[in-house]
Amino acid sequence: MDLDVVSDNFAFMMGGLGLTVQLAVITIVCGLMLGTLLALARLSSRVWLYWPATAYIHFFRGLPLILVIFWLYFLFPVITGKPMQAFAAAIVSFIVFEAAYFAEIIRAGIQSIPEGQSMAARASGLTGYQTVRYVILPQALRNMVPALVTQSVVIFQDTSLAYVIGLREFLRRVNLVDAREARSVELYLFAGAVYFAICSAGSLASQRLEKRRERMSLA
Amino acid sequence: MIQIQHVSLWYDKTHKALDDVSESIRRGQTVVICGPSGSGKSSLLRCINGLERFQEGRVVVDGVSVRQPGTDIHKLRAEIGMVFQHFELYPHMTVMQNITLAPMRVRKMSRAVAEKKAMALLERVGIPEKASRFPEELSGGQKQRVAIARALAMEPKIMLFDEPTSALDPEMIKEVLDVMTDLAREGMTMVVVTHEMGFARGVADRIVFMSQAKIVETGTGSDFSSARKTKGPASFWNGS
Amino acid sequence: MGILNYTFDWSVLWRDPYGGMLVKGILTTLQLSLLAWLIALVLGLAVGLCRVLPLRFTRLVGGAYVQVFRNTPLLVQLFFWYFAAPLLLPKPAQAWLYDNVPNYAFWAGVVALGTYTASRVAEQFRAGLMAIPRDQYRAAYATGLTTVQVYRYVIAPFALRLILPPFTTEFLTCFKNSALAMTIGVMEVTHTAYYIDSFTWHGLETTTAASAVYLCIAACITAGMAFTEKRVRIPGMIVRR
Ligand SMILES: Nc1ncnc2c1ncn2[C@@H]1O[C@H](COP(=O)(O)OP(=O)(O)OP(=O)(O)O)[C@@H](O)[C@H]1O
Ligand SMILES: [Mg+2]
Repeated sequence: MDLDVVSDNFAFMMGGLGLTVQLAVITIVCGLMLGTLLALARLSSRVWLYWPATAYIHFFRGLPLILVIFWLYFLFPVITGKPMQAFAAAIVSFIVFEAAYFAEIIRAGIQSIPEGQSMAARASGLTGYQTVRYVILPQALRNMVPALVTQSVVIFQDTSLAYVIGLREFLRRVNLVDAREARSVELYLFAGAVYFAICSAGSLASQRLEKRRERMSLA
Repeated sequence: MIQIQHVSLWYDKTHKALDDVSESIRRGQTVVICGPSGSGKSSLLRCINGLERFQEGRVVVDGVSVRQPGTDIHKLRAEIGMVFQHFELYPHMTVMQNITLAPMRVRKMSRAVAEKKAMALLERVGIPEKASRFPEELSGGQKQRVAIARALAMEPKIMLFDEPTSALDPEMIKEVLDVMTDLAREGMTMVVVTHEMGFARGVADRIVFMSQAKIVETGTGSDFSSARKTKGPASFWNGS
Repeated sequence: MGILNYTFDWSVLWRDPYGGMLVKGILTTLQLSLLAWLIALVLGLAVGLCRVLPLRFTRLVGGAYVQVFRNTPLLVQLFFWYFAAPLLLPKPAQAWLYDNVPNYAFWAGVVALGTYTASRVAEQFRAGLMAIPRDQYRAAYATGLTTVQVYRYVIAPFALRLILPPFTTEFLTCFKNSALAMTIGVMEVTHTAYYIDSFTWHGLETTTAASAVYLCIAACITAGMAFTEKRVRIPGMIVRR
């Protein structure tokens, strides 16, 4: 074990973490927005909303992310005639892919609220919008936040896949250093440790939120 | 029949669920335990058949000490029937399978004998026609009667009931209490945790009141009704 | 420019030698995910059990296992098993490995995917056991059954039904994750689809075909498991907490 290789290349490798975080944040924000729309469409009683959303979700949840990346990478030039930038290919495939997972979490959160709640709210004179806004959504959000945080941790890990189309994010840089220095044990343990530190924090937050949710739903 | 001597139970170092509890129950007696939620009623009941590993004291059932290394606890439990608040029927087995499991596996009874006996017990609790149903296809009262039949199938000398009616709708409570009353009349030794004061007054030889891990009062049914207006547990009676 | 300029050539899917490559890729994907699943099941059940046993030590070990494997990307784990693990072996063992295991990448993939999936299986298994109410155990013990009998007749049949659906999901996840093995050079179906592109420039067709393969296999497994679940289903059984 020789940790010099890690300290010598520390700045270079950690430099990739910026891109990793950037990828993750953009994916989470946009994925959440697209996911919410999909979830609402899936809960809708209008078939022309329900069926496309359902098909979309099943489609992307049935595929490996890495394949989706390639697929878009090949498809894009066919549609636009221009070759696709690696960054754009990565971000677009992450968003369309993760939105399908977010959508299911959000849908489950909304459906976890018993029907009696909305009936009670309507019975007290609230409008449909008010019912959703003040009664259903606050409860649903509380129910799904832990799962959303967990999924965000997964996304953070998934960004390492941008590696395959050559983006120089964190893991790619570790890989490059390894190609030059041939110190796989130290370097991959280091990479694992960095991801572990960040993801554990996320997982811990998710667990905390889950505990709090349980306490509140008991009260 | 049952001697409980200075039993103390901790769930963890700080949490004392039973605090030096002593009580003795003679053969054929029915004892009702009541008290507020969290006072240790269920814990005490579970000490009697060794489901709870109390740290101090002794429980002797029919001459056998529950927590002694040499005791065959499984054999002892086979002699003690237990009925739970949420029935705890095995959801993946039919009513018949629920009742015959322990007789066949513990008593090594043949299937034919066990099933014949189970049918007789189902007749007795009034639902022979449900033998091939799954638990979730029964009403709450029916489930609890099956649970009682399941316990009786082992021909226990003692029956323990942990709030057997508190998960039931009012109209079903009576059908379960009737079965229990019959059992008591036939001379079964019973320990019953319940808030059904009508049952307690009518059937119990003794009522034990628990609060904060201790037995705070003991008496007959009539004692309690007259103590109503005075101190102590009275507030609880009024409250319920 | 645009869609009109692209001529689809679907024959790339069956033309020699590409057709054969794709079939081989599909078989490799299946082999990889099934072998990994085997490891995941055995190891996952063991780790899950460790986490519910009333022993501090096993709980600690089980908990640490799950934390480590769930909080690092599968890709890093793959690289670790492929690039780093052999270096940790003594020299003669390394030499033996390089000489005698030509498809080491495949086995590194199996181990990485298996040990990673095990951490997820362990969590599902534990959740299944925890979903069984405590009084259910007590009711079984109260009739005099021994510990082995309690688990054999009451807990296991109950728990198995509870974990069947999540285990199906986990297997499908394992199946999809097997695509990551391409990064260490395993020629499974995703890699094959990408690889054919470099000869033919018809990657769109091959990746579309690979997608169809994943979706079809997943649909078959889902249907099969739904059938099994229906067969072992118990009328009206709902999970009470
Ligand atoms: N398995 C357990 N682990 C930790 N604490 C427990 C456990 N079972 C019970 N307790 C605690 O021990 C105390 C006594 O519990 P017990 O179930 O005996 O009360 P109870 O009188 O039966 O209450 P209830 O009327 O609510 O059933 C309670 O404070 C309870 O929270
Ligand atoms: Mg209780």
